[in-house]
Amino acid sequence: MSTASATALLDGIRAFLTPAQLRTDPDSRLLYGRDWTHQHTPAPLAVALPTTVAQVQRLVQYANDQRLALVPSGGRTGLSGAAVAAQGELVVSFERMNRILDFDPIDRSVTCEPGVITETLQHYAREQGLFYPIDFAARGSSHIGGNIATNAGGIKVIRYGLTRDWVSGLKVVTGKGELLDLNKGLIKNASGYDLRHLFIGSEGTLGLIVEATLRLTSPPGPSSVMVLGVPELDGVMAIFDAFRNRLTLTAFEFFSAKALRHVLNKGLQRPFETATPYYVLVEIEHTSAATVDTALAVFEQCSEQGWLADGVISQSETQAQELWALRENITESIAQYQPYKNDIAVRISRVPAFLRAIDALLAREYPDFEVIWFGHIGDGNLHISVLKPAALDQAGFLARCRQVNEQLFSTIRQYGGSISAEHGVGLIKQPYLHYSRDEAEIAYLRAIKAVFDPNGILNPGKIFA
Amino acid sequence: MKLLVAVKRVVDYNVNVRSKSDGTGPDIANAKMSMNPFDEVAIEEAVRLKEAGKATEIVAVSMGLKACEETIRTAMAMGADRGILVETDAQLQPLAVAKVLKALVAKEQPQAVLLGKQAIDDDCNQTGQMLAALLGWAQGTFLSKLEVGDGKAIVIREVDGGLETDEIKLPAVLTVDLRLNEPRFVKLPNIMKAKKKPLEVIKPADLGVDVDPRLAYSNFRDPPKRQAGIKVKTVAELVEKLKNEAKVI
Repeated sequence: MSTASATALLDGIRAFLTPAQLRTDPDSRLLYGRDWTHQHTPAPLAVALPTTVAQVQRLVQYANDQRLALVPSGGRTGLSGAAVAAQGELVVSFERMNRILDFDPIDRSVTCEPGVITETLQHYAREQGLFYPIDFAARGSSHIGGNIATNAGGIKVIRYGLTRDWVSGLKVVTGKGELLDLNKGLIKNASGYDLRHLFIGSEGTLGLIVEATLRLTSPPGPSSVMVLGVPELDGVMAIFDAFRNRLTLTAFEFFSAKALRHVLNKGLQRPFETATPYYVLVEIEHTSAATVDTALAVFEQCSEQGWLADGVISQSETQAQELWALRENITESIAQYQPYKNDIAVRISRVPAFLRAIDALLAREYPDFEVIWFGHIGDGNLHISVLKPAALDQAGFLARCRQVNEQLFSTIRQYGGSISAEHGVGLIKQPYLHYSRDEAEIAYLRAIKAVFDPNGILNPGKIFA
Repeated sequence: MKLLVAVKRVVDYNVNVRSKSDGTGPDIANAKMSMNPFDEVAIEEAVRLKEAGKATEIVAVSMGLKACEETIRTAMAMGADRGILVETDAQLQPLAVAKVLKALVAKEQPQAVLLGKQAIDDDCNQTGQMLAALLGWAQGTFLSKLEVGDGKAIVIREVDGGLETDEIKLPAVLTVDLRLNEPRFVKLPNIMKAKKKPLEVIKPADLGVDVDPRLAYSNFRDPPKRQAGIKVKTVAELVEKLKNEAKVI
């Protein structure tokens, strides 16, 4: 979209960034030009590393003047290509804006820059005797800014909700270069449209997040982790219902025997010998001395119904972590097979019928592919990863996956579900947005984008073309 | 062969323990408690010996507060046949624990006592050695491998700079290291079965053992906080600081 030459564009940026804040070398452009998806070839113009809000505003103004596209970048752990720069864009990395600016024990909130790593914030909250509950496998790399831009969910949504529920204040630089101070840390604020929520989950298409105020809560009490073997798909939600009715669940996760096999190949201990096609991981909070006894009673009740075949329960934090690793290490253990990922959701009540429908669909359409299932099934969220057979090239594999997508997403539309539960739309799910949102709604989304980013310089091509 | 396995209830390995502000001890109110990881390895090894047909009965023993019953139940869910809790609210030190175990050996007549090489709370690493001395038994400590034969055991010990293989006579006291095995997860059905296994509760006085502490702790405090690092501007400044401040070159 840019008319000026690359050299002239970079010279213009050098007027307000130091040499160390602008990287043009091939390694940096490759590294910062993509996220965890590897379907596009990174080709950014350069990588800018601003350290102040003023610099971010200068960058946006400059981008408007030059019609230069900007791609905001955090920990680059995204799974939808929302942080990919493959069209000569300027990547704006927030990794040097990584300070925790303020903590208020009375508000129980922390204010930080967008480049703070999720795990750093979690540790910081713990040090203050408090707790930041948004948590997922990429915690050690992902940034708070990226969490907000994608409204990150993860493994504790069932108990604590999404990132959206923890953001009490947001400062953003809009696509017009204006700095907005949204909601100012308030709990209650009924003074008109809450623009904060437009920016949360906007994938960098409306503005650049430059500061966030996040609520913290009391740390949870002790918990136990169970891994249960499930013989039939229908048992999964029956077990969920039985446990949810009598216990406080902090996680309810699902994975298939095929997923477990990959994790065990990486050297983890098998939870129990009984082989079942499906497994669930249940984390329960100890709300009373009788919690474990109640869990045992529910386990017995589910066994009698034939919903589960076997199960283990952690006896220490170390064992809890080992059991969690069986679920959390799946993504990493299958990465070598360049999986094609779908991250889909339906209402909890529709999960059993939906699982049956897509199970039949995948068996019919992918008879020759290995399909790995796992997900936050207690939230109605399922991750489906199709592994690339070694014999098939990347292009042929993706073409097959896209064919099946049309059918998969039609099924999702039929069940009133979402084509992206928590990974976002980015580049990869962009052609399928209309399966989850109707035309009128998409027209409003575009109109909102035009208000905040009239020149279309912010992350163009993401969410919609 | 009958085995006695000692299991201690300790603050969970993953809990970050701080001193109480008055220095009277660690602040462990409401902390998550678990079985000492070394003792978990000892129970696992005993269960494996039983599964291999080499042990006939496993008795899990703990001592301390009533809550130690939970630790014994875990041991029984892993495969111990029955449990004994020596209940006391006294502060238990290694010598007292060794004396209680000696009395239990007299009562139960096991061919071996298995226990962790140390507990992760006080890190004493004394109980097994003291027990062997009190009993006049052989001892194999810091085991990373155990093979039980007829009236003897071949053990591999983790010692400074390598591994030592010994043959020792049974009965013996065996203290185990983490590399000996990987403890199993506890199955929910086995927890239910463990509830029905016998758990005997006795007092130290029933065994005729005086468990009063022999050592008095005078103060607890956190290790000093690490100072924040500094940035140097030049190599010369770095060399100057290494010479004159750190005094390492």
